[in-house]
Amino acid sequence: MDPKEIDWNKLTAIIEKHRTQKWSLIPLLQEVQEVYGYIPPEAIEPIAESLKMLPAQVQGVATFYSGFSLKPKGKCVLKVCRGTACHVKGSRSILRHVKKELHLEEGETSEDYQFTLETVACLGACFLAPTMMVNREYYGKLNPTKVTSVLGQYSKNKEDDG
Amino acid sequence: MEIIVLTINGQKVTCPSGASLLQAAEKNGIKIPTLCYHPDLKPHGACRVCLVEDEKTGRLMASCVTPAAQDMSILTATPKILNHRRNIVRLMMAEHPESCIVCSKGNRCELRNIAASLGVGETGLYPMPNYTPYEQLNPFIIRDLSKCILCGKCIRADHELVVTGAIDYNHRGFHSRPATFYEKPLEDSICTFCGTCVSICPTGALSVKNTRYVGTPEKEINSICGFCSVGCSLKMGIAGGKIVEVNPSKRKISVNGATLCIRGHFANDFINSADRLTQPMIKKQDENSNDKHIPVSWEDAFEIVTTRLSEIKREHGPDSIAFIGSSKCSNEENFLFQKIARDIFETGNIVGTGYASGQKLLAYIDERTHGSCRVNALADLEGAEVVFVIHSDLESIVPVADYHVKRAAKKGARMILVDPFKTDLAALSALWIRPDMSKGHRMNTSGLINSLARKIVDGNFQDTDFINQYTFGLDPYVASLANFDAEKITEKHTWSPEIVKQAFELVKGRKVAFVVGAYTLNDPDGKQLIDAVINFSFLTGGMGAKGAGIYIPVAENNLVGAMDMGAVPDLLPGRVKMPSEKYMGLDMGAFITCIESGKIKAAYIMGENLLRSLPQPDRVAATFGKLDLLVVQDIVCNRTTQIADVILPGAAVYEKYGSFTNMEGRIQTFKPVVSPPGNAREDWDILSQVVKGMGYPEQYHTIEKIRQEIRLKIPMYQGLGNQQQDWIKNNESDNPFLSTHVKFSFLPAVPAISAAFDASYPLIAKISSPRFHLGSGTRTSRSERIRAYDRKGEIEISTADCGALGLNSSGRVRIKSEFGSIEREFIQNRHLPAGLVFIPMGVNHNDAMNLVGLGQKAHPNSAGCMLSRVLIEKI
Repeated sequence: MDPKEIDWNKLTAIIEKHRTQKWSLIPLLQEVQEVYGYIPPEAIEPIAESLKMLPAQVQGVATFYSGFSLKPKGKCVLKVCRGTACHVKGSRSILRHVKKELHLEEGETSEDYQFTLETVACLGACFLAPTMMVNREYYGKLNPTKVTSVLGQYSKNKEDDG
Repeated sequence: MEIIVLTINGQKVTCPSGASLLQAAEKNGIKIPTLCYHPDLKPHGACRVCLVEDEKTGRLMASCVTPAAQDMSILTATPKILNHRRNIVRLMMAEHPESCIVCSKGNRCELRNIAASLGVGETGLYPMPNYTPYEQLNPFIIRDLSKCILCGKCIRADHELVVTGAIDYNHRGFHSRPATFYEKPLEDSICTFCGTCVSICPTGALSVKNTRYVGTPEKEINSICGFCSVGCSLKMGIAGGKIVEVNPSKRKISVNGATLCIRGHFANDFINSADRLTQPMIKKQDENSNDKHIPVSWEDAFEIVTTRLSEIKREHGPDSIAFIGSSKCSNEENFLFQKIARDIFETGNIVGTGYASGQKLLAYIDERTHGSCRVNALADLEGAEVVFVIHSDLESIVPVADYHVKRAAKKGARMILVDPFKTDLAALSALWIRPDMSKGHRMNTSGLINSLARKIVDGNFQDTDFINQYTFGLDPYVASLANFDAEKITEKHTWSPEIVKQAFELVKGRKVAFVVGAYTLNDPDGKQLIDAVINFSFLTGGMGAKGAGIYIPVAENNLVGAMDMGAVPDLLPGRVKMPSEKYMGLDMGAFITCIESGKIKAAYIMGENLLRSLPQPDRVAATFGKLDLLVVQDIVCNRTTQIADVILPGAAVYEKYGSFTNMEGRIQTFKPVVSPPGNAREDWDILSQVVKGMGYPEQYHTIEKIRQEIRLKIPMYQGLGNQQQDWIKNNESDNPFLSTHVKFSFLPAVPAISAAFDASYPLIAKISSPRFHLGSGTRTSRSERIRAYDRKGEIEISTADCGALGLNSSGRVRIKSEFGSIEREFIQNRHLPAGLVFIPMGVNHNDAMNLVGLGQKAHPNSAGCMLSRVLIEKI
């Protein structure tokens, strides 16, 4: 997928859907994030215009919430938990292992837009520590071997698609 | 309003209901420190420095956001509060870089002051400065966001006062910072460089970029801005006898409050320009018979001016001399100047460039409304029901008036905008009517308003009480509206019946505040438009009502005052009509043709660079060569002084005594902030010396003497000089609201003149000042900051026309009109409709005036004064 190509028709449809709703900015941004995987910066101006807001304000909201991203994200977003429980159970080495496997630093996206690596303060699944999420799936009680197999599972998916 | 009683620090105090604890304390003289609070902004509660304690519960509350309640008992400085305040300030300091010693905010830094007053020195905390890159590529503002304390004042001022929306918070927590859209540098964002954020910033995060380091001002003196007709109150910071800083004045009675614009804030450095005239000079021929200016004493200069002018008067008669006043000069100067022309030289030839910018129609409005539009406060707009803005370009010409209109729209006034160009008002308007001018149409806004009036009458929404009490002539007017059936008229015009319907829904049963762009006053059908607007205001009872009526945002600072003082060919001081046409002087166009025909032999120009500001500058230059004597009184060396026989160096606004009358009818006096450079003198003083040299019995040694005479001769100005500001007073016997003997008169509605499409000049160009320029090249063009801004003045062409002309996204083009041609770079503007071009003035020696003709507005097929029919060629 080339992240630079934006289907403007889809965006117009999303904007039209939310235009008349009250407090519609965040649901609108959520839907844009859902459809495109990120909020294309080019979309901010049309969104602001339709909601009679200022572009800088919309950008302020989009940058405030970590749920929104202005940069294209990979197909699989990895969230490695760095909460206290996971830390005690060795999440630092889990993170190190993921970084090594994917050749990515925190916050980075792979060149083929397959993976994005993020860390979070707590996933709320401390009983599974150390844990991480890939998109909406939880993976708990991790060890380096399990991490490698999980990552393999997701890169294999890519080959299937291809 | 209900009054609340509460106790602050054991003292019983009262405040109105709805007031915050902070306001209640301030009102009663109890000081609470603040950082993020500003009286003009909505309370934000970000900094928590204003904490107070509830005596009963011991709870701590931010006083700026806590409403005062009955029987509350509040403590403002207990050890507990002080401890909390100290900790808050310590945390801010821990995040602040240790660069106080080189910070231009110095001892005016509010954070430093609060820290000092709380006794916070070393924070004792681990320093965690939040370094961000220093941004200073633009010539106006330095942004060092390392020093930002996130009070949000800049953001709130931008959103609430200036309503631009260039910045907002980005990110969260420690990383949170004010940022522009896409986090671009300010010069690439929609920032207008109004500088409001700089003045309001409590720390050194935002500061003014000086061309060199000048230090903290030694003192601050209030003055009035001399650029546009809003007349903002300024606070000038002086160091070493020079103005080094300009901020909005804290005077409560100002038009501008905490705001200013790019010119007022940053362009006033023109007065330190190296081109300032400092010595009187006369033109002499050297041995090679080249013209050369040599310095002379003031006595010699006055001697030459008075004897040569007297000779010319004797030889060729009084009407061989013309006096060109200036709407940039003060009331006192214009009064004295017209006195010199009329009383001493006995000629009616007194005119100013303001006359070419619509003064004549302004006088007509005054006559028809019996002075009811003379005084109309911009602040009232914020309570307006409907604001109807007609082709006004407020954002460039009168930015602070633009903020008022935008604030009105944000506060719920329904805004109707008629403008083919996309301005910053478009996004805020309830209805943006965009006339299609592609086929050479004129806007025909008068037709639109008359159609609306007809709908008002048809739907019986007129204000019958107002009409019965204050007006006459309704029936012929209503009959004339029969020609303005929206369904019929729109076929060959520029808006649809649907739009008239939408506009009608917005205005019906409401009072309308019209904001009519000054440039429209010079359109060939400007009079029809004004008549339509005035009739509509009578019909709906908007005339004279608060937050309604007619606003005319003229460009020049004292255009209204110059007219009131009689520095116009057709009015005597006090807007008194000439008793007979034969006493009328020449208008600007006739002035030039009379020099060409040899009727005018001498001219005395005060404060105008006509070789730059008049249309067809080459023709004007050649014409001026024919004069026997040209006296120019100005502040900087310019094209007109270069050909003058005598140069008299005058003083800029901030170097003299005087008064201006702004677009609202507010008369504001000012006094010198610094002294004029070298031997330059205050302009009224120069004029008084001319009066003296001519042996006139009255002498004007002081400004007060001139003011006395103005107060005596012009009843409208009876308050002049009594205090810092006063308003124009209306004559009781000639105002329908004050007297039962006069009434407003409806006039029958007349269709606008339709213009023929001229295929040889198919495009319409708006030739207008960009925001950072105004006037005739003696002020903004001499500002180092504006020069450093270095805009090339690209003309803007619509995407459609670029396609039709085979132009790429940028390049050079030739623009031709029937008067001349110029070459410029161009850019594509996707917001422009087809058929329209924007040509900024004030760049390339104002070459755009080559495209405009002298006396063009009289031409029935012209597009208007500042609109020109042009042809664009690819080079």
